[in-house]
Amino acid sequence: MASLQARIRGSRDLRRNLTALTFLAPAIVLIGVFTITPFLQAILLSFQSWDGISPDTPFVGLENYRFVFAFDAFWESMKNVAVFGVVGFFLGNGIALAMALAVNHIRRGRTFFRTVFYLPGVLSVVVVGTIFSFLFEPRSGILNHLLDLAGLGSLQQNWLGDPDFALPAVAAVFIWFHWGFGFLLFLAGLQDIPAELYEAAELDGARAWAKFRYVTWPQLAPVTTIVSLLTLLAALQIFGTVQVLTNGGPGSHTLVPTLLIYEEAFTNNRYGSAAAMSVLFGGALVLLSLIQLTIARRRSDA
Amino acid sequence: MRRNTTPRPATRPTHRRPLVWTAGSLTVAVSLLLQGCGSGSDSGSDDGRTKLTFLNQSRGQEAALNQLAKQYTKKTGIAITVDSPGPSDYLAKLQAKAQSRSMPDVYSSFDAVDMAPFYKAGWAMDLQPELKGAWGDEFAPGVIKMSTFTKDNNLGVPAGVYSVHWETQAYGLIIDPKATGIDPKTPPKTMDDLIAALKASNKDGKGNFLVAASLTPNLIPAFASNWLTDEQISATYAGKESWKEDGWRKAFQLLVDMKKAGVIANGSLPGGNGDNPAVETSFFNKHEVGAIFDSSAGVSVGKRTAPDYTDYSSMSVPAAADAKHPPRSTGVPGKGAVVNPRGEHAKEALAFVKWLTEPAQQKVFSEQALILPTSPELLAGGSIPSQLTGFAEASKTRQIVPNSVTTDVYTAIVRGTQSLVLGEKTVDQVLDDLESAQGRS
Repeated sequence: MASLQARIRGSRDLRRNLTALTFLAPAIVLIGVFTITPFLQAILLSFQSWDGISPDTPFVGLENYRFVFAFDAFWESMKNVAVFGVVGFFLGNGIALAMALAVNHIRRGRTFFRTVFYLPGVLSVVVVGTIFSFLFEPRSGILNHLLDLAGLGSLQQNWLGDPDFALPAVAAVFIWFHWGFGFLLFLAGLQDIPAELYEAAELDGARAWAKFRYVTWPQLAPVTTIVSLLTLLAALQIFGTVQVLTNGGPGSHTLVPTLLIYEEAFTNNRYGSAAAMSVLFGGALVLLSLIQLTIARRRSDA
Repeated sequence: MRRNTTPRPATRPTHRRPLVWTAGSLTVAVSLLLQGCGSGSDSGSDDGRTKLTFLNQSRGQEAALNQLAKQYTKKTGIAITVDSPGPSDYLAKLQAKAQSRSMPDVYSSFDAVDMAPFYKAGWAMDLQPELKGAWGDEFAPGVIKMSTFTKDNNLGVPAGVYSVHWETQAYGLIIDPKATGIDPKTPPKTMDDLIAALKASNKDGKGNFLVAASLTPNLIPAFASNWLTDEQISATYAGKESWKEDGWRKAFQLLVDMKKAGVIANGSLPGGNGDNPAVETSFFNKHEVGAIFDSSAGVSVGKRTAPDYTDYSSMSVPAAADAKHPPRSTGVPGKGAVVNPRGEHAKEALAFVKWLTEPAQQKVFSEQALILPTSPELLAGGSIPSQLTGFAEASKTRQIVPNSVTTDVYTAIVRGTQSLVLGEKTVDQVLDDLESAQGRS
């Protein structure tokens, strides 16, 4: 009797699983074809030599990895992208949170500011690059022109041509371009915080900073985890903004791994070493994401 | 005993339905996917009419090419489809076509380094046997030689000629006589004279000369030709001679001298994806600088973007004060075409390309796009616009270098010259970087 029941339950579970799998099948196939397969192919390619056109792809063992480890430009690009990561993570998220707090606080014009702050994220990266190329033009750029009009001519710079300013200038464009996404999520998170918590805090005599520290910040933790992870990944994967604005220059001051990988594959026709760079860089991103998620989970468990 | 109350016959179809739907949608998705991945041919003759495809790289020559294609169709009945993805997307699209084995019948030629993988993979017809005949006489001396891959070239391309050209491209200076005080009839004889003229006309102190970082791999060899022969330059590209030779050191030093004299605008070389268009805009549209280093194709850009501005001329890069040889412009074949030998209509494609290079068709390219033709008949005809005369002169003494700068070295020159002008690196450090880049290649 018991065994019959178990069998019936088993067959019901099997049927349920089969139904679920059937619904999931298209997604599994698409992920398999468009995500897993290219990923595995990239790993395979990192052990091969290929110019992108020839039908021959001979195996070269660890040669591509040896090449990448000895390639100074790769490590220089890793250093640059770390700056983008840090700036995007702290400054980018900080600005997005500050804007969300401000918009959440105001009573009028909330829709207007929500639209205006999110607007940059709607633009294409090439459009953003072109806009800022014009803005940063050393002679006819609006930024230098405004500085001149304000009597601050001494602050005029060759924003994209001077090594001291190129990286901060590109990072500023990145922040402007991406703040809308973080802003929207933070704003949604803020609007989800129950008002009673603030009322209780006020009754306890909490002021603005205490309310932020003990109510807003802990309540925003899940949103902060997601936003910071996605912003960090976006900053580390920066490509279009750099390509359009500086193409890695001046010298190698704004060179980032994604641009180097692109150049290695599509300009130098060395797909093998480009794949090796991708595997190393992708691996670093996965590792970083896991570390961040682990820290966030531990913090929420505590 | 408890019975399973679920009426089996009723549930079965509901479980099957999603399965059937899923199977159906998967079949459709997979078949669409396979259709997308399947090899196709860009050429065809479904309606009995021969159709050829031309993948065109140049925006400036697109209109002329389309006009000529229509003319050819009218003449022969062969339909030509010109696909112009734009200069930035051209190579990526061509690569994708090679990978999916759906190459066009004819495609634009580009830098030797970029085209070499296509030539090596057999996607280009060796035109040498054809060019040995009367067809070869239709090109100015040196034009065919410049696009010839000799035996043991540094790119590993089998010896042969894989492209033909209707444009002679030369590099030199485009100058505004008013803004620089340089009289085109008596151009500066030495680099010192040029620097002195640019310095004298640098009234706002912001610099009066610009060169895009991406064009420095053409400027530096032009400077180096003051001290190095074509053979030495070619040997350096092949890694047989060192970048630390004195000629290269002096060439980079000339750039440093220009920086020190304060004639380089903003004290830096513009970089980025559109650095040369930005330099051309600065000259033709904004008139911010009085002189730029550019290719002859720049004049075509000027005509398109600032048709009313014609008060400028071109000149060769002047000699260095201690030059051993007369300086020579870098030798880069201009716009031209490659024939796909594996296409369904390779013979017809070759005939079309031959027709495109005839003087009558070259004249259309030359007049519409304002480029220097390769036809000796047209070059001798005296119909070259005044803005191109300096380039025409420069094209007479171009470098004939069988080897090519590898992409690693190209990138190292671009980045190195930027750092050099910014004062971040010394000439010796840049030369060290070039040696390393050559080693990587």
